Amino acid sequence: MASLCLVPLLTIAQSPEYSIAASGPKGSPENSGPAGDVLKRLNQAAGVPLPVTVTPDTIPVADTVRRHPQRHHHLEEVVVHDNHVELRRKEESLNVEVVNREFILRNLGGSLMKTLERLPGVKTIGIGSGQSKPLIRGLGFNRVVVIDQGVKHEGQQWGADHGLEIDQFAVGEAEVIKGAASFIYGSDAIGGAIEIKPSPIPARNTFGGSVDLMGKSNNNLLGTSLNLYSRKDKWFFDSRFTYQDYSDYRVPANQVFVYDYAVDLHDNYLRNTAGRETNLHFNSGYVNGKFRTVFYLSNAFSKSGFFADAHGLEPRRVDSDLHDSSSRDILLPRQQVNHLKLINRSSYSFQRHRVELELGYQRNYRQEHSQYVNHGYMPSSYPENLGIPADLEREFDKNVFSVNLRDKLSAGRHEFTFGVNSEYQRNEISGWTFLVPSFRQATAGVFVYDKVRLHDKAFLHGALRYDHGQLRMFEYTDWFPSTLSGSSEFLTRAEDLRRSFNSLVWSAGLNYNPGKFELKANIGKSFRMPIAKELSANGVNYHYFSYERGKPTLDAEQSYQADLSLGLKANKWSVAISPFFNYFPNYIYLNPTSTHDYYYGAGNQVFEYDESRVMRYGGELQLNYKLSGALSAGLLGEYLYSRQLSGRKKGYTLPFSPPASALVNLTWSPPSPNLTDTYFSIDYRVTGSQNRIVPPEKKTAGSQVFHIQSGTFLMMGKQALQVSFQVQNVLNSRYLNHTSFYRLINLPEAGRNFVLSVKLPFQINKPINNEP
Amino acid sequence: MNKVQSFSLAVLAVMALSNCSKESSDPVDTAYPVIDISAANAFPKQCSTIKRGDKFTFITQLSDNAELGSLSVDIHHNFDGHSHSTEVKDCVSDPVKTAVKPFLFIQNFSIPPGQKSHQTAIEINVPADVDAGDYHFLIRVTDKEGWQTLKGLSIKLI
Repeated sequence: MASLCLVPLLTIAQSPEYSIAASGPKGSPENSGPAGDVLKRLNQAAGVPLPVTVTPDTIPVADTVRRHPQRHHHLEEVVVHDNHVELRRKEESLNVEVVNREFILRNLGGSLMKTLERLPGVKTIGIGSGQSKPLIRGLGFNRVVVIDQGVKHEGQQWGADHGLEIDQFAVGEAEVIKGAASFIYGSDAIGGAIEIKPSPIPARNTFGGSVDLMGKSNNNLLGTSLNLYSRKDKWFFDSRFTYQDYSDYRVPANQVFVYDYAVDLHDNYLRNTAGRETNLHFNSGYVNGKFRTVFYLSNAFSKSGFFADAHGLEPRRVDSDLHDSSSRDILLPRQQVNHLKLINRSSYSFQRHRVELELGYQRNYRQEHSQYVNHGYMPSSYPENLGIPADLEREFDKNVFSVNLRDKLSAGRHEFTFGVNSEYQRNEISGWTFLVPSFRQATAGVFVYDKVRLHDKAFLHGALRYDHGQLRMFEYTDWFPSTLSGSSEFLTRAEDLRRSFNSLVWSAGLNYNPGKFELKANIGKSFRMPIAKELSANGVNYHYFSYERGKPTLDAEQSYQADLSLGLKANKWSVAISPFFNYFPNYIYLNPTSTHDYYYGAGNQVFEYDESRVMRYGGELQLNYKLSGALSAGLLGEYLYSRQLSGRKKGYTLPFSPPASALVNLTWSPPSPNLTDTYFSIDYRVTGSQNRIVPPEKKTAGSQVFHIQSGTFLMMGKQALQVSFQVQNVLNSRYLNHTSFYRLINLPEAGRNFVLSVKLPFQINKPINNEP
Repeated sequence: MNKVQSFSLAVLAVMALSNCSKESSDPVDTAYPVIDISAANAFPKQCSTIKRGDKFTFITQLSDNAELGSLSVDIHHNFDGHSHSTEVKDCVSDPVKTAVKPFLFIQNFSIPPGQKSHQTAIEINVPADVDAGDYHFLIRVTDKEGWQTLKGLSIKLI
């Protein structure tokens, strides 16, 4: 039992990304020194044959250390400094933030993106308590790429009412790249990327798991996440089941006004915002020294209601008694999404090469259900023979196949990466409303990236990428006739349309880290292919009183961005500032015009996709100060300015521009003999007002919110129990969030919320079981 | 404490900074147009009744700080009680029923360019053979920049 956690720890030391320092009660000079030497000695002591090569992400560093904080070993206690995050930051010229499981548990929000919102420069566009999409430095929707297990996550990226189908309990580490990163991730990464990495592969000869339990008071959430993993020598599996069930959420208001229409809330509950989420994961693979292959199978299902008293921006009269009889039921209107994923990730190292391959299949199946209401020229009673269920307002069914292939080649000072990405999408639609036609999309890109190590403290980066994409949209004709000057006809909303796009992008950057000072600079061009909606939308979004019209002649969106990051670290404090400047020659946006359309738009305001030149700049500030051994303070600030330089909205900002905000934090981590990693932390977030708006937005007043986080590790026998507790919106403040879906109908954000989560890891079989 | 002081000073500095930078006011128009039905001769108003077989004149006062865009009127039945009234006052509604031949009126009206204020006087015919009951009278007006204001009135055809 002695070296339980030693094996995985030791093997890491072979990677330059980790260093080992051995220490212990008695001090053990023979076990400190260069990582390799220490490793050799410790490995010999543990009876492990050398050499063992493992890549850093295979090793559960934090996990194993944390799991047995009090364990005694034959050998002296070994402290592993996991430097890979620090190293990643120092060797990447883009602005990158890395968060781990600890961060997620500490700041657990309703969804992964809500949790990440604590990071400076990251915001969300959300609906309800469980669905949100990322907004990085003010850019969201299809301008941010989410990479899950190496493969681009493809949801239905249409609306602000959609979430991201990712289970935050299955996230081992999340990396947020703020800034244009098309050269590595392809189209869409024009605003940034979020790369989700799984939990590390289990250590050899282990069999264990963990049980997570959580509860939230505001929306009466109950949830659990169960994990079971095992590894013999080379084969392993890692599985997870997550279930969450939540009721309508509560806001600090008895009455809200949708326009001037008063809606009384029953016990502060926002009617019909309850939801459920079930996620399954099964990963299994083979790990050998130079070769590894892992299959990731996952299915994420969620079902959640929309606020019943308004559908979109449209006030609705509802059967309050029916809705108020239970806060947990999910009635109409509601959405449900099922996302299935099968990914294989393999890598093989030989000589100076490391070849990586990812193969992925995904299916995103989304349905929006609502009572049939005839709008415009739709018949007053729903026809029986239409073949579409009467409550199926919209359906999107997307099948995606992806292939990524990369070769990383070390050659002297150079580290080259050659890569190919390709993806094929098939999209089908259904439902009694129409917005976007069915389409097929194929994309392929090749890139080369060179990282040059000038010396240990300086790196240069250069990248070049070429992409080709093809889109094919299919004709759609209304199922009901529209009337124009007396005659009635079935309107063809979308014509067959084929478009293809080519793009050449590049990036150049540098890192310079002489001691306490840190500098990063990057400049690059990024691009984004227009999506089907931007090219071919031609339908009425009745819930927004808008008629959305695509522009079939749009070009691929281009963007030039310069990023700078300066950091200074001293013993007790650190400061980092990361300004950026961004210019779009043609930013694609949905422009609300002054006209109404009678024919295709059934009298609604015309919203037309258009292009304009856009300039944006802003930045983040991070400040940390250690007030004493146990007390530290921090400040995170962010600011963003955007302006349209041409077009119909010249002078205006971009939609969903987050206002300036600052987060002040005070953390107390008292050392305690019985508890490990205990912390009490208070967050004070000040958000400025947002008066720079563009139709159809509303000005949003500033707000102030307090959050409290606290947690510790309790020892239960030999197992550590991790307890995290949060109070969100401590003062139950009533405020509006400028980037929330419900902002336009003036719904306040969630009130006070107590969040308790407990994690109990267990090991049935430990690494190295007295094996000979 | 000195450290606390210097830290809070830094915090204040940042907050002040972020405050002054967002002051840069843009000369862009952020005002919504206004639909005013408070005048004595305005028609219809919330809960107005209209006789089938008659015509009525839709009179309302539209205004904008810069320039009005266009006007759209939509009259549709509300026999299912779906409501998108934007008004505070609730009207007495009939029981839910199925439509047989509901009245449907959707029309756009252009507003002469350059106007800040405009009074509508639009004649609307209500055929005699349409279903009586609860209807919605939805007024949408935009200004030149694309700001739209809605007014959803509940009316009754008798």
